[in-house]
Amino acid sequence: MEVLPSVPDAPRRVALVIGSGGVKCAGALGLWRVLAREGIEVDLVVGCSGGSLYAAAMALGLSVEDCEAMTTRLWTREVMARRDTRSILGALFPRLLGFEGDLALVHDGPLMRALTPALGGRSFDETRIPLRIVATDFATGEAVVLSEGSLLDAVRASISVPFVWKPWVIDGRRLVDGCLSAPMPVDVAIREGADVILTMGFEAALPRRINTAVRFAYQVTSIYTNNLYRAAFSFHNLAHHAEIIPVIPELNQHIGLLSTEKIPYCIEQGERAAEEIVPYLHRVLAHTEGARA
Amino acid sequence: MAEYAHELQVTVEPRGDVAVARITGSVDTITADDLLTTLQTAITGGHIRLVGDFEGVSYTSSAGLRTLLAAMKEARRSGGDLRLASVGERVLKVLELSGFTSILRLYPDVDTAVASYA
Repeated sequence: MEVLPSVPDAPRRVALVIGSGGVKCAGALGLWRVLAREGIEVDLVVGCSGGSLYAAAMALGLSVEDCEAMTTRLWTREVMARRDTRSILGALFPRLLGFEGDLALVHDGPLMRALTPALGGRSFDETRIPLRIVATDFATGEAVVLSEGSLLDAVRASISVPFVWKPWVIDGRRLVDGCLSAPMPVDVAIREGADVILTMGFEAALPRRINTAVRFAYQVTSIYTNNLYRAAFSFHNLAHHAEIIPVIPELNQHIGLLSTEKIPYCIEQGERAAEEIVPYLHRVLAHTEGARA
Repeated sequence: MAEYAHELQVTVEPRGDVAVARITGSVDTITADDLLTTLQTAITGGHIRLVGDFEGVSYTSSAGLRTLLAAMKEARRSGGDLRLASVGERVLKVLELSGFTSILRLYPDVDTAVASYA
């Protein structure tokens, strides 16, 4: 699999970028529903971290209902249920047991079993819409744009939440969560030549209470990635002529990593947020069409 | 929350040595040039202390953000500033997400924004 950033081949008029945000990214399904209803075609889908799963499902052509059912089945407490005892003990007693180079609190076996029915055996070649998935090279910290090969591998790499699941190796590179380098990878769509870029992504929800070491680690990571999210988004808004249209669902409820019961709520709020920008989206598409003519 | 309104209207009214630009509509890629021209005309005309009244602004996108930044930089280069008042929740979210709330001064209403220049 080629994991280097891809070279633009043809302009992509409308791009949808779904950034990190875990379960909240289901809001993109609401946006997707509105775009379909309005007859607005998307030429490129980019996903990162939690957004990679929805991006892959959309690019494969799944319906909103199928995407919802798939992710509800996938994101269950089961995927977090099994500790990665070997990794934890290796980190605690490195001289005795040897540190493997990875630290994961959760064994990824249940996660892979959950992802496989939806994505197993599927490749980027099968997508109806060009798809890019972003992960992070653990050795260098660079964003890695995946555009070929196994969708299961790409999504697994992109959602390798630090300290939760181990990095995932693709072509010899250990890849971790895309949110560590590009929590809202607008730059990928810019590089691909998109005129209009719709974005949906979320800052990490900070834990309500920090009463465990895991939550402490999560807090630290979230502070970094949230600030990276804002800094990068600001730069991309100012540095390029492409029109970036953020679609921001109002999520007033606390939504944790596995709050799958909130998926319908996220979809509904995503749909509402999308409906607010639709009139402008139609106008800007007509405007860019006129500019191209 | 203001409904999306695609037409942009801008009127600039002096309030002492401050000029209030009352902006209504959407600040986006279609309207950005008009807004920038109006604000630049005000600045070159000597209105370097500007308040952007955003009560009627329904939406802003990346092109709108670039316009605000350009006007703010020009006003500051001239020794003044562009400050915003009455920014609605929807626009505020975009300003926050893009880091603009850390470089622009925002006030709850026009009177407070005008008074901030005193």
